[in-house]
Amino acid sequence: MVMSLEGISLTRNGKQVLNNISGEIKAGKIIGLLGPNGAGKSTLIQSMARLLEYEGSIKINGQGLDDFSALQLAQRLAYLPQHSQLQFPLEVEEVLSLATLPFSLTRLQQRQQVKQLIKDWGIQTLADKDFRQLSGGEQQRCQIARTYLQLSNMVLEGKGQGIWLLDEPASSLDLEHQQQLQKVCRQAAAEGHCVVIVLHDLNQAFRLADDIWLLDKGQIRAQGKTSEVMTEQLISDVFNVSARRIDDSGESLFIFN
Amino acid sequence: MIKKLLISPLGWLFGILLSFGICIGALFLGSIDWQTLMHSEIGSKILWDIRVPRVLLAFVIGAGLSLAGVLIQSNVRNPLADPSLIGVSAGAALGAALMIVLADFVHIQAHYYIPIAAFIGGILATVAVLKLGRNDLPGGMALLILAGIAINVVAASLIGLLTYLATDSALRHITFWSLGSLASANYFWLSLCSIALLIVCLWLPKQHRKLDAILLGQAEANTMGVDVKRLQQQSIVLVALLAALAVSACGIIGFIGLVTPHIGRMLVGASHRYLLPLSFFLGGSLLVIADSIARTIIAPAELPIGIVTALLGAPVFIWLLLREGRRLQW
Repeated sequence: MVMSLEGISLTRNGKQVLNNISGEIKAGKIIGLLGPNGAGKSTLIQSMARLLEYEGSIKINGQGLDDFSALQLAQRLAYLPQHSQLQFPLEVEEVLSLATLPFSLTRLQQRQQVKQLIKDWGIQTLADKDFRQLSGGEQQRCQIARTYLQLSNMVLEGKGQGIWLLDEPASSLDLEHQQQLQKVCRQAAAEGHCVVIVLHDLNQAFRLADDIWLLDKGQIRAQGKTSEVMTEQLISDVFNVSARRIDDSGESLFIFN
Repeated sequence: MIKKLLISPLGWLFGILLSFGICIGALFLGSIDWQTLMHSEIGSKILWDIRVPRVLLAFVIGAGLSLAGVLIQSNVRNPLADPSLIGVSAGAALGAALMIVLADFVHIQAHYYIPIAAFIGGILATVAVLKLGRNDLPGGMALLILAGIAINVVAASLIGLLTYLATDSALRHITFWSLGSLASANYFWLSLCSIALLIVCLWLPKQHRKLDAILLGQAEANTMGVDVKRLQQQSIVLVALLAALAVSACGIIGFIGLVTPHIGRMLVGASHRYLLPLSFFLGGSLLVIADSIARTIIAPAELPIGIVTALLGAPVFIWLLLREGRRLQW
C-alpha cells in the first residue's frame, strides 16, 4: 500500500493554504505531520481523506482518489477528525460498531469484533454509556478505537492494506493513553498499514514517527527521517522559539527556552 | 434487550389504538352490537366511509411526519429541526391560500383544487430551498437551513398579503385549512399517502447504519463509506414527498415531526435500527390519539387537529429546550 501526493495545492478564500506539496507514504511507515498553527497540517490530512477539493493528484497504489467510490475508499482509508461533536444519544458500543460499516460482515461478526475491540482497548466500563457523557479524553480514545477497528479490517492475506489518518489524536489523552496510542500506531505499521499522524508535541514526534513532513505556511520545509529533519535550527526557525536538542543513547529530546 | 422489548409489543398496541380510534367519535361505535352496526346503513357508512379511512389516514400521516422528522434531524444533525425546515409546509400553505383566494375571486369550488395547489406549492418551495441551499458544497447543510428560513419568511409574507386581500369567507377558509383537519379523509388520500409511506419504508432498512454514521459527522460518515451527499439528497426528496402529501391531505399539522423522534430517542436512544420503527408507530399513534381528541372533546363539533398537536407538542418541546439548555450548561 502506497499513497503518493503530487503538487497538492489548495486555496481557501483567496489564501493559499497548501502550496505544491508532494511526497510518498509507504507501507509500514509512520509519517508525522508537524508545523505551527495554520501551517496546513489538518488541511493536508483532510485532503488525503478526500474531504476537501484540491489541485494536484493523490493516488493510492497508483489509482487516483477520485476513482474510488465512498465505499471503496472507506475500505482502504480510515480517518480520525480533530473534533467531532455528537448531538444525539448514541451508545459507545454503537459508535464503535460503525467502523464495520464499509465491510460485508454479518451482525454476529460485527458484534464479535466490537466486543474484542472493547476488551483490547480496556474500555469495558464505557461500552454502554452515552457517548456524549464521556470526557474529552474518553471520547478521543473511543474514536481512535473506532478508526483502528476500521483499519484492522483492511487486511489481505495477513498483510495490512490500509491508510490510517489521525488528526491530532493525542491532544486530550493522558500519558498512559498517549503510550497506548504509540503502541497501537507501531502495531498498525508493523502489520503493513501506512499511518499519517498530525502532531503538536515535538518529543512525541521523536518517539512515534519514522518520517516527518515539516510544514510551514502551507509548504513543506523539510521531509525525511525524523532525526534528520528535526534539527535545532529548523525547529527554532519554523516554530519561532529557541529550541535545544539533546541526544542520549539513541533517544532525542527537545527542550525550549 | 430493553430496546427489543419496547419494539415488539408495538404491533399489539397499534391494533388496540386503531380499534379505539375507530370506535370513538360523535357516535360511540364500541357500544353498538357488531351485527346491528354492519346491517344498519348509517352505521356501516360511519364505519367504512368516515372512521376507517380517517383513523388509518391519521396513522399513516403521523407515521410519515414522524419518519420525516427523524430523517431531517439526522441529516442536518440538529435535534431541533423538523420537516418544515425545508420550506415544504410554508410552500404548501401558500399554494393552498392562493387557491382559496383565487377560487373565491372567480367563484369556483376550491375544495378539490386546494390539495393539488398545496402539493405543488410544497414541492416548489422545497426545490427553491434546495437550489438556494447548495447542499453539494461542504457545510452546505447550514446553507440549506438558512435557505429554508428565507423561503419560510417569503411564504409567510405572501400568505399575509393574500389574507389581507381575501374576503371574509376566504380568510376563514385559509385560517381553518392552516390549522389542519382530517375531516376530509378518504380512500384516495389514504392510498396516496400509504404509497409514499411504503416507498420510504422500503428505502429505510438499508440506510439505518448510514444515518447513524451521519450523526457522528459528515467527515466521519464520508470516511466510513457513506455517500453523504447522495443520502442527504434522497432523504430530503422523501421528506418533501411525505410532508407535502400530509399537508395536502389535511393541512398543517405541527410538532409531530419535531417531537416524536425525541420521545423515541428517550426510549431507545438514537440508533436508527430501533428509532425508525419506534418513531413510525409513535408518530402514527400520537396522531390517532390527537385526532380522537379533536373530534370528541367538543363533539359533535371538531377542533382543528393542528391546535391539539400544538397544545400537546409545545410543552414537550419547551421541556426539551430546557433539558438541552441544562445539558449544554453542564
